[in-house]
Order: sequence, then structure tokens, then C-alpha cells
Amino acid sequence: MSTITQTVRRVLRRRPAAALEVDVDLEAVAGHEEFPPFDIAPDDPLLTYFAASAGAVQVDHLELDSPALRAMREAGVKVVVPLVSQGELIGLLNLGPRLSERDYSSDDRKLLEELATHAAPAIRVAQLVREQEAEARERERLQQELRVATLIQQQFLPKELPGLGGWQVAAYYQSAREVGGDFYDFIELPGDQVGIIVGDVTDKGVPAALVMATTHSLLRAEAPRLIEPGRVLERVNELLVDEMPPNMFVTCLYAVLDPATGRLRIANAGHNLPYVATADGPVELRARGLPLGLMAGMTYEEVQATLEPGEGMLLHSDGVAEAHNPEREMFGFPRLLDLVDRTLGGQELIDRILDELRAFTGAGWLQEDDITLVTLQRSSGAGHYDAGPATAAALTNGDAHELLAQFTVPSASGNERIVMDRVADALTGYDLDPARLERLKTAVAEATMNAMEHGNAYREDLPVAVRLYASETAVRVLITDHGGEGDIPEATTPDLEAKLAGLQSPRGWGLFLIQSMVDAVTTSHDGGRHTIELVLHTEGDSNASHPV
Amino acid sequence: MTQQTAALDVQTVSPRTAIIRIAGDLTAAREAALMDAYNAAATAETRAVILDFTNLEYMNSTGIGLLVTLLVRANRQRQKLLACGFTDHYRQILELTRLDDAIGIHDTEADAITAAES
Repeated sequence: MSTITQTVRRVLRRRPAAALEVDVDLEAVAGHEEFPPFDIAPDDPLLTYFAASAGAVQVDHLELDSPALRAMREAGVKVVVPLVSQGELIGLLNLGPRLSERDYSSDDRKLLEELATHAAPAIRVAQLVREQEAEARERERLQQELRVATLIQQQFLPKELPGLGGWQVAAYYQSAREVGGDFYDFIELPGDQVGIIVGDVTDKGVPAALVMATTHSLLRAEAPRLIEPGRVLERVNELLVDEMPPNMFVTCLYAVLDPATGRLRIANAGHNLPYVATADGPVELRARGLPLGLMAGMTYEEVQATLEPGEGMLLHSDGVAEAHNPEREMFGFPRLLDLVDRTLGGQELIDRILDELRAFTGAGWLQEDDITLVTLQRSSGAGHYDAGPATAAALTNGDAHELLAQFTVPSASGNERIVMDRVADALTGYDLDPARLERLKTAVAEATMNAMEHGNAYREDLPVAVRLYASETAVRVLITDHGGEGDIPEATTPDLEAKLAGLQSPRGWGLFLIQSMVDAVTTSHDGGRHTIELVLHTEGDSNASHPV
Repeated sequence: MTQQTAALDVQTVSPRTAIIRIAGDLTAAREAALMDAYNAAATAETRAVILDFTNLEYMNSTGIGLLVTLLVRANRQRQKLLACGFTDHYRQILELTRLDDAIGIHDTEADAITAAES
């Protein structure tokens, strides 16, 4: 037999990503030369012909107006055996002239056809394996990108909320699976003012996260220097315009609050309007301005408002209003506005928005975009805070409880110490026996650990929310996680003997400690969140006791 | 904040007695450090190991779990576990958990050494 060297080349372009070339060298049979690979255009009539051919085709006998056929003839191809698997042409077996210079006999062709019949499925399997490998690599690449984007994003979110005397500040951030470009931050400004940012970068993934990081850094650098929100956005826009990748921009609301007077100045670069909750109903604060990074030379209107005692404000990103239910209806701004109308602010407003959103989207909702919510509420009257119906049951004798601290921490190992220290700091100046304070600290740390571990499975994106109230007679700490409906089990006294005998785990002291340290422990759940409430009376036995 | 991975200070007082000084936090994160320290402190002749908590900043329920683990180990090796330097708060927790039944609690290192050597 003459030289039999053939190149089987994937010629169909239907799956270009999987284009595959399989070289099968049959030198064991005979032959030394190899044909160059032929590129056959998808519309070449030769393809249709081969796909329909039942067996070996003698190239010299073909009469087709085909560039590929001409190329084959020039290369000296005499016989082509189409490789067909499950009705699909997956390659060609190309043969040159026989070494004996005689034509291929019918026996030769039969042998080749048989070879093709066996080779085609094997080659198809090889092609499928390669396609699957390529797909797996692509999946891994996307997941890696997601991890990087999440990492960048989390790097720039505030680790804790600012403690503003006479104000409740609460925030919520939940990234979508694809990680959008949401961000928020609080910036300390001269004169005890505070800058509040909520922004959203168009696009998703790593590019959005990088633009977010740049915008965030520019805002942080310019805000304390320029103060006026309009000027800050103007300057950041100028700096961003040249750096911005094509088709990307950043919407951003920037507010400057003077906590002492409630005076608020805002400028808005195309972001959702902030809602202010007043006694007369909710108000949208409108300030004109285009998103950052779109065009040079932009100016930003500045609008002022004053938040009176009891009034609050909500800043929000698209993730809420643009969430869809299974019927593809949008949650919409009116629903948000209505919620602001019913709940003035604070953590309670965030909780209600999230509850309503979950009820709207239903179970199994795939969050489409990042969700960011920031709420501010100015304490009413002399700084007393009505804890609202959700927590009113724990109020003792109608005693007014003042909100002393409200913050969240990510669920990360060791963060219970942050919570413990912040609660203790907030109680500085409060008349609490040091021994009782120590007991509260231990209970708070243990409850936070439980919330991070059992409620939030140590997922850093699931925060633990902490609220601290104090009255003349008692201190209350509410610690909320995302633990759903599960009740905290009854604390039983751990069996030390069983533990020492190795019959019980050496661990399992947390609940026992919590109940020993404080005067009352209650738990509740509400819309997927689980709250443990610790009450410690200011007066009482300074010795801890066994849980009853 | 104390380095969670920091090694614990170990001192041999006599062939029979060793001291482990626990500074900073005692939580599950320090399990390896505590067990390493115990390995370094307890030889075949050691009869008593004193845990000095004078510089303890924070101990949580997982730290109590570690003390139980250590107790089990000390019992197995026929060694006595003593502790000193607790604040009133942590001493109260030791009482509540009844760990003070199993661990000899003393005010100072000197008291604990006297008790260990007697």
C-alpha cells in the first residue's frame, strides 16, 4: 500500500470552541509523509458530499466546484474516507497514492471503510473528553474570578458602623452570586460630620470590583478635603473619567451629615434617590447629576434637608427595587417607599425590607444584583428609642430603653471579642457593677459565637447584628443571625464527669455559660433571622448562678 | 490583641512540677499551642502542671473545653493539674462549671507550687 498518512481534522465549524484536530499516524501500516491539515470552509459543498457519503471517496472522480477539493488534489490526496459518528461528520481519513502506483482496489477501500467505522467513535469520544475538559477549565476560571471579585468587594466594605451619638445607623449588604459592584462607606469628616456613600458600578465580577475599589479610594481621599458633597463628586468624576473602562460608570450618592443638628447635604451621581421618613410621610431627596466616569466637566446639584428627632433616611441600591418575583414583576420603588412610610429607620427598617422582599420573591429566589441598604435614624425626644413591637415584650415595666449601640460584624472566628468590647465600651459611664459587666461580656461573646457558628455557619458575608439597650434598671443585648427557624436548645448543665471520662465532648459549655451569666435569656425568630436577647438587671446578686 | 498562635511560656520548677503561663486568649484557636506547651512541660517524672492565668485576657467556652481536654490527659498521665492567677470572674466560671473540683485553684504561682510540691 502506498503512503498512508492521514490527518483527521475537525472540519465542522458548528462548535468552534471545541475545534479539534486529531492526527492519526498510521506509519505502522506504511508511509512517511503527512498531509498538511486542510481547512474546509463550512459552506464548501465538499462537506455536504462527505457527510452524505457511505464510504471511501475517490478524489479524482469527484466533480464539485470546491476550493477544498482543489487543495486536496494539489496535496496529492487520492482517497478520502469520511469519519462519521452518530450521523455527524467528525473528520476525514485522507490517503495519498499507493506506493505501487496502482489504484486502490475494492478490497483496499473495504479495509479503509472498516477502519473508519471503528476509528470514528473512538475519535468522537476523544473529542468529547477534550470538550468536557475545556468546559471544566472554563467553569473553574469563572469560579476563581468570582472568588477574587468577592474578596476585593469585601475588602472595601466597612468593618463596622460609626457610632453616632443620638443616631441609629444600620447597614446591610448582600452580594449577588455574580458579585455586582455595590459599595457603601462612612467617612469621618472634620467638625464631627460624617460622610455617607452608597454606590453601584455597572457591570459585574472583577472589572466592577476594581472600578469600585478605585472609586472608593478617590472618594475617601477627596471627601475630607473638599467636604461639600457636590464638589467631592465633581472632583472624583474628573479623576475617574480618564481611568474608566469603556461601557462602565458608577452611580453614587454622597451625603454629609452633621449628627449634632441633623443637617444633611446630599449630591447624587445618578444613584437611586434617598428616602427621608418624616412625620408627614416619606420624601424623596432629588439632586441632579450624571453617574461618575461618564463625561468630563460634570457638576452636581447639592440638596439640603434636616432630619428632625425621630426622622430617618434610607439609602439603597438597585438590588431591592429591581428584584423580580417568579411572575417577573419587579419589587419596585413604591413598595420601598411604603415601607419607609411604615418604619422610620434603623435596623427595623432593614429587617422589614428584607422580610417583604423575601415574601415577594418567594423561596428559591436567585438574587439578581447586589443589595445594599443603609439607614440612619435620629433618636426621638431625649434620645430615647422605642424598640418597636418586635422587641417590646422584653421591656421591663414600661421602662424606657435607650439604644446605646447598634452594629454588625462579619461571621469570622474571633469577632465575638469585637462585639464584647464594643458592648463594654458603649456601657462606659453606665452605672453597672464591674462584676456584672464581666458577666454580660462573657454572655455576649458566647451568644455571638453561637450566632456566627450555628446561625451563620461562619459565612463572612452573613453578619451578626447587635443592638444594645439600657434603662435605669436593666441592660438588654439583642444578637441576631440568619439561623432561620431553629430554636436554641435548652441549656443543660454539662456533665463534667462524663466529659472527664471521655463519654461526652469536652466542649459544649456555651449555652450553659450564657444562662449562668445573665438574668434572662429569650430567643425569637422572624423571617429567617434568629435573635437571642440577653437581659441583665443593674441591681442584683453579683454572683453568677446556675441556670434554673 | 494577643497573637492566637503565640507559643505559651513553659517553666520547669522542679523535676516534679512545671508551669505553663497562659497569656492573652484561651480559645479553641490556641489548642495546638496549649498542647505543645503541655508536651514541653510534662516529662515522665512530672507529677504536677500549674496553669498560670495571671495574664489571661479572655477565655471562652471553647477555652473551657480545652481545660477539660487537658484534665483528661493529665489524669491519664497520672499528673495533677493546678491553676492560679484567675480574676474573680473567671474563678466564678471555674466554680460554675465545677472545674474547680478537678483543678486545684490557687491565688498565686507560689501558692500553687507549694501545693504541688507538698
